[in-house]
Amino acid sequence: MLDVWQQLIILLEGVPLTLSISIISFFIGMAVGLPLAFIRVYEKEVSFVVDAYEKIFRGVPEIVLLLLFYFGIGSYFPSTFGNAFFVAAFVLGLRSGANQSQIFRGAIRGVGDEQMIAGMSIGLSKWRAIWHIMVPQVFNFSTAGLGSEYALLIKDSAYVYVIGLAELMKRAIEVKYSANDVVTPFVLSALIYIAITFPIAFWLDRWGNRRKKKIGL
Amino acid sequence: MEARHVYKTYGSKSDKEPKKADTNTCVDTKSVIEAVKDVSLQIRKGDIKLIFGPSGSGKSTFLRCMAMLDIPDKGEIYLGDECLVEPGVDLNKARARIGFVFQHIYLFRHLTALGNVELALRQVFKLPKDEARKRALDALTEVKVTDCINKYPSQMSGGQAQRVGIARALARNPDIILLDEPTSALDPELTGEVIDTLRDLAREGTTMLIVSHEMPFAREVAEEMIFYDEGTIVETGPPSLFFNAPNTDRAKKFMTRIINRTTREEMNV
Repeated sequence: MLDVWQQLIILLEGVPLTLSISIISFFIGMAVGLPLAFIRVYEKEVSFVVDAYEKIFRGVPEIVLLLLFYFGIGSYFPSTFGNAFFVAAFVLGLRSGANQSQIFRGAIRGVGDEQMIAGMSIGLSKWRAIWHIMVPQVFNFSTAGLGSEYALLIKDSAYVYVIGLAELMKRAIEVKYSANDVVTPFVLSALIYIAITFPIAFWLDRWGNRRKKKIGL
Repeated sequence: MEARHVYKTYGSKSDKEPKKADTNTCVDTKSVIEAVKDVSLQIRKGDIKLIFGPSGSGKSTFLRCMAMLDIPDKGEIYLGDECLVEPGVDLNKARARIGFVFQHIYLFRHLTALGNVELALRQVFKLPKDEARKRALDALTEVKVTDCINKYPSQMSGGQAQRVGIARALARNPDIILLDEPTSALDPELTGEVIDTLRDLAREGTTMLIVSHEMPFAREVAEEMIFYDEGTIVETGPPSLFFNAPNTDRAKKFMTRIINRTTREEMNV
């Protein structure tokens, strides 16, 4: 029998993996979602490609994508998709990119087309205006959405136990067997999930509000 | 700079034109707005011309077409010898030579006054940091807003912000500055400082095409006034023509209304 403290320690050892998967996929999602949002708004001719991508990654359950990429595609490309951590970051990152693209699209509307027109009026090209004028302001309008996206990623990271990564969820299941206790490990992991989700979401929101205050929004 | 036979219409679904039709109940009476119909206008170096006319008549759209911020449906825009509507023209380069001042100012909200003015110098003209800063400071000094160099747009008054907007257009020494009702979004007591700035520019021989209803100012600085109504130029002439006896009825009516309003305001002061 494992006592509560022993269980807690085993679970906590999974936190670094849970956090690194979530944070890495959050930034992959940003690197993908931000340019895609601008493509959807300002390059209407190719936005159907973005639309298809968003539909696939928002429409198919993560767990299906994880299994597909790890066991399916991974058997053809074992050096990349055979790596569980890579697949986890890849799938969660691209799924988050589809969401973040929508978050940023709303934020672009919030910044307003007139900022873009003003940028063009001084001689900036479309993409330079996007880079110098829209991108810095887009974050002011997206921190709330990004905060909840991060919370979503922490929760989604629980799915990666299906490809064998020993993160928090996987450990909770194992502790359940070895401790022969179906309540404590899940209560503990629930508390740990809450503890690692909200401080960062809260901090993001506060950072956004400060930025907004600075520029008077 | 010259516009030749420029046309621009907006469909009812256009998202750029504020949807005037939606505000009243008869939405479908006019689904296409002809904002610019066969407008030609020439402005030479050092000229100051002033466009005025009823609101919603398409003056702003025409001005945006001049700057190629809206692409005309038909007609030509010349900047020097270059025809801007031809394919393959580098519009960004052309826009860099045209200063534009917006009615609603549109300063970059995430940048200070200095940052707003510097941006084009650094990123479009690729000036070294020191030189860009120096020229930006010169422009801000010229419009007398040195006290808010490090302020963000939200921390400025409307008059200060609009003068920064003028500095932003001015700093890169454009061939011409287009001003779209630069004072009409400001509180009445703030229009004076912006008008003073424009007067200074006029004195220095800056080429300007101004949409404005500041009649005393127009009388003082404009070589030519252009009465614009329902998407087209109705009458053109020196200020003396409009202030004494315009030829067309429409211009006559409009001038009477404007002058009555102006004198009323002056009496109230």
